[in-house]
Amino acid sequence: MDEILRLSHISKTFPGVRALQDIAFDLKRGEVHCLCGENGAGKSTLIKILSGAFQPDEGGQIFFNGEAVSLTPHTALRMGIHTIYQEHIVFNALNITENIFAGSEIARRGLMQRKEMRRQTENVLRYLKSDLTPDMRMSDLTSGQQKIVEIAKALVSKSNVIILDEPTASFSSSEIDTVLNIVKTVKEDGIGVIYISHHLDEVFEIGDRATVLRDGRRVSVYPIAGLTKTTLIKDMVGRDPSTFYKRERVERGEVALEVMNVTGNGVRDVSFKVHRGEVLGFAGMVGSGRSELMEVLFGSAPLVYGEIKIAGKSVKHGSPKSAIQNKMCFITESRQTTGLFLPKTIAENVAVANMVNTREFITRPANDLLTGEKYVKLLNIKAPSARTRVVNLSGGNQQKVVLGKWFNTGGEIYIFDEPSLGIDVGSKQEIYKVMVDLLKERKAILMVSSDMPEVISMSDRVIVFKQGQIAGELTGEELTEENILTLSIGDRKE
Amino acid sequence: MSKPDISNTTVQVKESLFKRYENLTVLSIFASFVAIVVLIQLISTGGSRFPTFISPVNIVNILQQVAVPGIVAIGMTMVMVSGGIDLSVGMLASMVSIVVSLGISQWHFGVGPSILLGVASAVVLETIMGFIISRTRIEPFIITLGGMISFQGIALLLSNSREVVMQGELNFLTINLVEGARDPVTGLILRIPPYVLAFFVIAVIGGLLLTYTKYGRRIYAVGTNPRAAFLAGIDVRNMRLSVYMIQGLLVGIGATMLLARINTGIITLGQGLEIDTIAMVVIGGTALSGGKGNIVGTLIGVFFLGSIANAMNLLRLPSEVQFLAKGLVVIIAVSAGDVSSQISEFRGLKREQAKARSVAATAKKGEA
Repeated sequence: MDEILRLSHISKTFPGVRALQDIAFDLKRGEVHCLCGENGAGKSTLIKILSGAFQPDEGGQIFFNGEAVSLTPHTALRMGIHTIYQEHIVFNALNITENIFAGSEIARRGLMQRKEMRRQTENVLRYLKSDLTPDMRMSDLTSGQQKIVEIAKALVSKSNVIILDEPTASFSSSEIDTVLNIVKTVKEDGIGVIYISHHLDEVFEIGDRATVLRDGRRVSVYPIAGLTKTTLIKDMVGRDPSTFYKRERVERGEVALEVMNVTGNGVRDVSFKVHRGEVLGFAGMVGSGRSELMEVLFGSAPLVYGEIKIAGKSVKHGSPKSAIQNKMCFITESRQTTGLFLPKTIAENVAVANMVNTREFITRPANDLLTGEKYVKLLNIKAPSARTRVVNLSGGNQQKVVLGKWFNTGGEIYIFDEPSLGIDVGSKQEIYKVMVDLLKERKAILMVSSDMPEVISMSDRVIVFKQGQIAGELTGEELTEENILTLSIGDRKE
Repeated sequence: MSKPDISNTTVQVKESLFKRYENLTVLSIFASFVAIVVLIQLISTGGSRFPTFISPVNIVNILQQVAVPGIVAIGMTMVMVSGGIDLSVGMLASMVSIVVSLGISQWHFGVGPSILLGVASAVVLETIMGFIISRTRIEPFIITLGGMISFQGIALLLSNSREVVMQGELNFLTINLVEGARDPVTGLILRIPPYVLAFFVIAVIGGLLLTYTKYGRRIYAVGTNPRAAFLAGIDVRNMRLSVYMIQGLLVGIGATMLLARINTGIITLGQGLEIDTIAMVVIGGTALSGGKGNIVGTLIGVFFLGSIANAMNLLRLPSEVQFLAKGLVVIIAVSAGDVSSQISEFRGLKREQAKARSVAATAKKGEA
C-alpha cells in the first residue's frame, strides 16, 4: 500500500475562530481512512481543504503522490480527488446518465455522444453491482440511490481519492449496506477513501484506520483492528468540562408540558414531561428525530397518534396558530429561512407572531416600533433602532430578534432548536442568560442541541434520541459527553 | 463546523435615502419625465404658452383614463405583495362587462341587480382561482393564465361573439361631479366623473389596509417568507385566497366603470388590462417575488404609465412610439433600484479596499 495523500501542519483560521490547528493526515491507496469527531471538531473544514474549497493557512503542506501541491476545486478534480458532500447535488429532472455527465459531457464536434455516455454509465453501474439503469430519472430515486449515482459520477472520470461526508445520514439499513458494499468495491481497486460518519458501526465495518479530531486538533490515529468503541468515544469527547458555561440553577415547578406516546413525522412513541423552571435538553445525531418531534409538538407537522397536555389539559394543535394561542414558542433551527422576515424591520419581525393573540383589526406601526425598541433594549440587540432591517444584522443579533418575536407573544413553553447555531461567543452567552431569566420567570424550556457543551451545561435533564425514538434519559452525574455519545451512536447500554 | 464569527459590534447600517424611502427612485424618474415633457413644450412654443401637459384639464383627462386600470392595480398590488400574480384580470373585466350589459339590455334584470351579478361573478371566479392557488403548489402564473383563457371563452359564449350595445343605462356613472368648473389656464370644462372618485377612495382604503391593519401586515409576512409566516401563526392559505377575492371585487367594480364609459359590452374592453396593471404595479416598486411594494408606489406607477400615452399625443409623436416608451419605462423603473444599489455596493468595496491598503502600508512601515 503506497501513500497517495499526505497533509502536514495544516491549520485554518477564520476571523475569530481557529477551525483547524496543525493537522497531520495521510491516506494510502486502497485504504478506507475514517474521520471521527463531534459536530464542530473540524471534519468538514478538513474536507473542504482537500476538495480545494478552502485554502489552508500559510505553513501547511499537501503532498499528492509525494509531490507538494496546492489544491483548488479545479486541480483537485484533475488529480482525481472527488468529494461527495452530505447534501445531494443532483439535477432532479434529468436521468442518471445526464446527471453523471453533467458538466463533462462527451461530445464530438459539438454533438453529444449519447450512446457512449450511456455505455459508460452502464459499465459503472454494473461495476458497482447496482440494479439502477442509466435511463432512470433522478427524481424517482431514493436518497440512497442518488448517493450511488454521485459515487458513480466520481468513478467515470479518473479517480484516486473519494471523500464521503456522512454518506449514510438518514438512510434505511439496507441502503446503508449498499453504500458500504460500494465503498468496499472501490477500495479493492486501489482508490483511497476518506470516510466520515457519525455511525461508529460503519467505521468499524469498513475502516482501515481512524483519525479522531477534537476542537480542530488531531487527537489520535488508530488502526481499526484491535480498536474498541470505548477508546474512540473517549478520544472524541475528552473536553474539559470546566470550560463549559456555568448556569444558575432554578427551582423546578409543576409540570408545564406532558407528552404521551407521541408518534408522527418520523418520531415513534415518545413520552416525557417538562416542568416549569427547567431546561429539558434533546441530544442525538442530526436526523435522529429531535427537530421532527418539535414540529409535531408545535403543530407544524401532523400528530399521528398520542397526546399532548399543557398545564394538565389535553390540547390538539391543528396548526402553529393554536400552539401559539396555547402559549408555546418555537425558536427554529434555521432562523433565516423559517424564523425571520429578512427584508423587514426589527419592529415588524417582533410584531408578527403576537398577531394571533390580539383582537384589534387596526395596527399602528408607531406602536410596533415602540414594542420593537423595547426588545432592542431588553435583549441588547446591536442595531441603531427598531427600524433597522433584520438582513443587516449579525447572526447573534438576528437570533435575538427571533427571541423578541416570541417573548412578545407572552409564551410559557419555549422550544429552542439549536439556540446558538452559527452565532458568536458573546451573543451565545447572552442567549444563555436570557434562557435562565426565562426559567426564573417560571417558564419551561425544551432545547434541541447538537453542541455538546451547550446541551450539558444548559440542561437539567437530557433525553437522547436515536432513530426517531428515545434512547435514554440522563441527569446529574450521568450527564456526560461520553454517556450521550454512547446512547446516540454506540450500542445501547447493557 | 463552526461558522466564522461576525464581530459583535453595532452594525453600521448605511442605507441610502433611496433605499430608506422605497418610492423615491420611481418618483424621481417620473418627475424627470414630466420635466422633460414640459421643457420640450416650452421650447417648441418659445415659452409663449403654458405647457398643456401640466394644465389642470389635461391632468383630469389623464385621471379619467387611468382610473379603471388604477382600481385593478390596487388589487394587483395586494396579490403581488402576497407573492402571487393575476393574469386573468383583463379577460375577467371583459366578461363582467358582457354579463352586466346582457343583464341590463337582454335579460332585463334591472341596472342594480345586473351590476351585482357582474361583480359577484368576478368574485366567484377569482375565489375559485384563489382556492386552487392557495391549496396546491401550482404557480399562480399558470392558474391565472388558464383563468384568462377560460374567461375569454365564457365571455364569447355569453355574447355569441357579438357586442352587446346598451342604451346609456349606466350614464349615472359618468356624470360630471364638478359641474360648471373650468380650467383657469385654458378655460376648458373640467370633468371629474364618479369613477375617478371611486379610484381615489379605493386607493386610500387599499393603502390604509396594507399599512395599518393586521390583515395588511400579514399579507407582507406571507409574501416575504411563507414558511416563517406559517410558524408565526398566520393562516397562510386563507391569506392567499383572500387577496384574490379582493382582486375579484375590484375587477368587478372597474369593469362596470369601464362599461359605463364605453356603453357597450365587448370582448376587447379588457384586452391588455393585465399587462397595463402589472406594468403599473412593478413600475411602482412591487417585487414579483412578493413582500415588497406599497400603494403609494403603485399610484405613481399608474400616473406614470397613464401620462406616457398622453404626453406622446401632446408632442405629436406617432402612437406606435407609445408602446416602445411604455416598455422602456418599465425596464428603466425596475432596474433603477437595482443599479443604484449595485453602485453603492461597488463604492463600499472601493472604500474598503482603500482602507485595507492604507492599513497594509502602515503595517509595512512599522516593520521597517
